[in-house]
Amino acid sequence: MKRCAGIVGLVLFAAWVALGVPEKVTLLYMTAGDINMLALAQNVLGPMFSARYPEVELRTVHTGPGDAGSQLIFEKLRAEKLSGKETWDVDVAMVHQVFMSWAAAEGDLLLQYAQDLETWQYVTSPHAKYALGTLVEGYVMPMFHSQIAIAYNPKYVPEPPKSYEELVEWVKAHPGKFGYNGIKGGMSGVGFVVGWVYWKTGKYEQYAITGPYNEQEIASWEPIFKELKEFNKYVTITAGNVGTLDALNRGEIWMGPVWVDMFYTFMLTGKMDPNIRLVLPAPGLPGQPMYFVIPKKAKNIEWAKKFVEFVTSPEIQAKVIVEMYNWYPGIDGSYVKDYVSPGAYARLYRDIAPEELRTKGLAFALAKYHTAILEAYEKWAIGG
Amino acid sequence: MRSGRSEVKRRWGGASKLLPLLLLFPAVSFVLVLYLYPLFSSVIRSFTLGAQSPTFANYLKAWALYKKDILFTVEVALLGTFLSIVLGLALACYARISRSRAARFVNSLSRLTIFLPYVIVGQMMRSFLAPHGFLNVILANMKVIDLNSPIQFFNIRGLLLGFLWKEVPFVSFIVLSSLQVVDERYLEAARSVGAKTRHIVLSILIPMIKPAIIVGGVLTFCTIVSTFTLPYMLVTESPTMVTVDIAHRVTYFRDYGVANALGVFLYLLAAPMAIYYLRRMVGEEIYGY
Repeated sequence: MKRCAGIVGLVLFAAWVALGVPEKVTLLYMTAGDINMLALAQNVLGPMFSARYPEVELRTVHTGPGDAGSQLIFEKLRAEKLSGKETWDVDVAMVHQVFMSWAAAEGDLLLQYAQDLETWQYVTSPHAKYALGTLVEGYVMPMFHSQIAIAYNPKYVPEPPKSYEELVEWVKAHPGKFGYNGIKGGMSGVGFVVGWVYWKTGKYEQYAITGPYNEQEIASWEPIFKELKEFNKYVTITAGNVGTLDALNRGEIWMGPVWVDMFYTFMLTGKMDPNIRLVLPAPGLPGQPMYFVIPKKAKNIEWAKKFVEFVTSPEIQAKVIVEMYNWYPGIDGSYVKDYVSPGAYARLYRDIAPEELRTKGLAFALAKYHTAILEAYEKWAIGG
Repeated sequence: MRSGRSEVKRRWGGASKLLPLLLLFPAVSFVLVLYLYPLFSSVIRSFTLGAQSPTFANYLKAWALYKKDILFTVEVALLGTFLSIVLGLALACYARISRSRAARFVNSLSRLTIFLPYVIVGQMMRSFLAPHGFLNVILANMKVIDLNSPIQFFNIRGLLLGFLWKEVPFVSFIVLSSLQVVDERYLEAARSVGAKTRHIVLSILIPMIKPAIIVGGVLTFCTIVSTFTLPYMLVTESPTMVTVDIAHRVTYFRDYGVANALGVFLYLLAAPMAIYYLRRMVGEEIYGY
């Protein structure tokens, strides 16, 4: 009898554990991008989100920097689609623009969710409509916008070049003192090359916004890249995005293209000479947002939406995206301004004013032009 | 009953023939699925472009864009292997012949590098060899160079230094184990008839451990050819090693055709070494190192 009562007690206890204690929801978040994206999710966004919604725990998977990181996410989602599973592992992901053209070509990977969010009303960026020529409206929410600019050391460069023409002249007069990371070591180098093409061809609108893609045009780029090859003779090729920042900090180079957010983060963490400044030479340099996407058959769609809504709220955009990470906000800056400390706001716009950013902050080229630019560089600027 | 017993016997007879095959099955299927299938599929994909197959388009493109890098990879692999063998041998012979504490210390210290992954070596070399890095600053302080025109290491020099840093101790590790089993009496006999250290090394030790040296060379060559992290972290522009180009084709273009064609170049480079290694190991029934 006693034993029987014991068993009944155990069963009741198990039932109480199973039903009474609410099970925590694990939200699986997959993020591409540099290592800072992992830190952002693990140390900042995850704990903040769990503080507001204690029943949810954010679990982060980091896939690595550059397009390769987004590529892994794409392959994971594609594999989930092909497996025919009813629910997929990944609840929400953070991807680069190029991901959207792959996802569009593959089809049936993503959920159209953005209009359901309360924060959708704050989104005004053209990047939320088109990503490298692909219509993405509703499928993405930009978390932040990142911009490439030229960092320079005022000690050696008292008057920074205001345009690509002036930059080329300066570089020829100071061999080895301008550095960038080519096209195989990260996007700041790629951005510089894309800017070079916009400058030389004057066809930014066609290449980055309107299209259409004209394959015949590529052959006409040969002299442009031959000039870049000549220019490269006066340049130091650095090892990656961080390589350029390190070389600037150590005084090996005096100028070089960098991501604005990485630059300020380096400065705030004492890894960059605080005297180094930024300039955006005409006709401009590209930048890009990173997007939240929700897989079509995500297990926790509602929580994923809540998470995206949380991160794109003006408050989090101000406190985390602008103040902590030095990115330009993903939603319209005017909604964010009230929540940002004046110091952080001034720092972000110190060298490049919002108006300048609007005119000279360009987009990367449409996917096919982008590929063509990279291949043209390999063919004519490196020369096989 | 009788017929039943003979049936069992027949079955058992059959099983004794099948048994070795059954035992081999897990290992063979493992190799087939995880090694041979990806290898063949990558070779096939290197001859495929869209709906076209077979085609040499990927190879032509790979050669047109990455000719320099392919030659550079061969150059780095040959030079790196040669230098690793020479220096590794020197280190091992020193550790074998000298009985000093210093020799033991150097030997054990060098072992540490074998266990560090290349990504760590890459990160170390990046700051150590930078134009204003540790090495150049020291040289500048010693007035050997001018810091305004420092020695550039983010090219074949840095790459070789990185590879040697890891591969010299590796070769020495393999070679030393063979050196240890060389009977001391040979060396004493040689010394007693007036042989100098140079003679002992060149005429006795090295000829006796030739197989180990060759194995060390083969493994080093294959490691250098296939390493991605070190060239990726040190030399991102041109010329760089083929592994970086493979990653570039996949990452930026999702072009598995050209990436596989480049992969096939690497297989061709490594294949003679692998065949030699296997023949030697299986032929002489020496397994492992």
